[in-house]
Amino acid sequence: MSYLKDRGIFLYDESLCRNLDFHEIKRYLDGKINADIEIRKGFISYYLRQEKIDCFARKIAGIRVRDLRRNTFFEPLYGEIKYEERMLKKPKNCSVMYDGFKLQALLRELITHEEYKHVHIVFTNRLFGTFDENDMRYHARVIICGHPSLISTSGIVEAPAKPKRFYYLKQKSAILGIPIDIAKKKFKGRFVDYDDERITEIMKGYVMQALMYSITGKPFCNNRNCRLFNAHWQEEVLNAQLNGHEFCEKHKGIIEKIKEMREYT
Amino acid sequence: MALFEYATESDVTRAIISGFAEDMKEYASTDVIVIGGGPSGLMCAKELAKKNVKVLIIERNNYLGGGFWIGGYLMNTITVRAPGQEVLDDLSIPYNKFAPNLYVTNGPHACSKLIASACESGAKILNMTKFDDVVFREKNRVSGAVVNWTPVSALPREITCVDPIALESKVVVDASGHDAVVVKKLEERGLIKTPGFGGMWVEKSEDLVVEHTGEAHPGLVVTGMAVSTTYGLPRMGPTFGGMLLSGKKGAEIIHELLKR
Repeated sequence: MSYLKDRGIFLYDESLCRNLDFHEIKRYLDGKINADIEIRKGFISYYLRQEKIDCFARKIAGIRVRDLRRNTFFEPLYGEIKYEERMLKKPKNCSVMYDGFKLQALLRELITHEEYKHVHIVFTNRLFGTFDENDMRYHARVIICGHPSLISTSGIVEAPAKPKRFYYLKQKSAILGIPIDIAKKKFKGRFVDYDDERITEIMKGYVMQALMYSITGKPFCNNRNCRLFNAHWQEEVLNAQLNGHEFCEKHKGIIEKIKEMREYT
Repeated sequence: MALFEYATESDVTRAIISGFAEDMKEYASTDVIVIGGGPSGLMCAKELAKKNVKVLIIERNNYLGGGFWIGGYLMNTITVRAPGQEVLDDLSIPYNKFAPNLYVTNGPHACSKLIASACESGAKILNMTKFDDVVFREKNRVSGAVVNWTPVSALPREITCVDPIALESKVVVDASGHDAVVVKKLEERGLIKTPGFGGMWVEKSEDLVVEHTGEAHPGLVVTGMAVSTTYGLPRMGPTFGGMLLSGKKGAEIIHELLKR
């Protein structure tokens, strides 16, 4: 364990999520591991120089997932590059999926030499996925731990599976051209939605996963009642993050130890 | 006493020829050529014409409106998801709320209002005219369209050996629906490569069409379902809000391009 000695922790807000309270997350982390966290506006806007936008737009356009069943990439279209330029200059909610590991690598390239050693946790509204070679398809993800760690506020809505009945209703609605909001209303509260009021509380657990990765190399826990549980269903997300269990005994101990070490150092 | 005033057959013929010729002379060179007179093309043309941009719509059919006359399964009820109803308000098209954020309107009423609005704004229309090819300028910039009579392509070559004509413009809009005929022409020349239909984020397909509306190649703006074909976006359900808003966004982007 590195206990994050001499390493700063930076949270970046690229979420465009109005209910996500970064100061509350900072307070939570301070309490848990005595973390001295700096909140920064956007990761890309922080590191990417204005004159480099064209070049970065081309790179990011090239890592789009065009087909969930293929992890092949090719030269992006002129219009796709222009689209990314617009998004970089004036970020908006977008509806494109990107390859998560490639996105992470692109962002990593932006980190300056002086700040490379620190922990960077980027909240983004972009949806990303990873290709699973077992079933040969992309799966949306909420978090990709690493350097930097990425947490997607679209991913928390789209990645963990919703109740099966919801998908049945959604399919029916799509055929009839009925807005998805109607199906959502019937399942209100049973999954995380866009601009969900519970998002801050839920994201506390995901930031802890990112931090645990940076400190111990192990972000997840097998205990369903631990905030570090790698949830694949919305029901599991809500249980792990909102039911007040906080952490399992094992991780409670590890977190306390990290806090003590940080106080000591 | 006859109801109508006297005019000879030759007067009528001369009136048709000179009226059409005047229009063709005037629009042989224009600001924007819109290929396709469906909902996104009409909307785009209307918005531009309202801002005094000189616009010509090329429509291969005799009628305008594309699929906007009818909804899904040949039923003439049109559905529009919020915020698409704001366009219906602008056009004074009556509609009803079917469910929260979902509105229904009568296809023929909505379509005819949109066509009328495009005409009244000043957009010129060439119907029964088929897009044939692209006019290029330096650095392969799209600068116009080559067109021909629609019946020419429907008849055997030996009967209708009719050369097309070229029309110049500062911007061309591909609003030709799933066919994306202009984009496909560029693809034939190796200037663009469409990825084919993909499965990006089906639930967001309507958003994606609007988000991706824009310049797909220098001088070429893509709107409506042609956006879907160009970028390999998932197919949408039978709602038209995306088409209308895509046309509107296309007009905003073109307006900016023309200012440059």
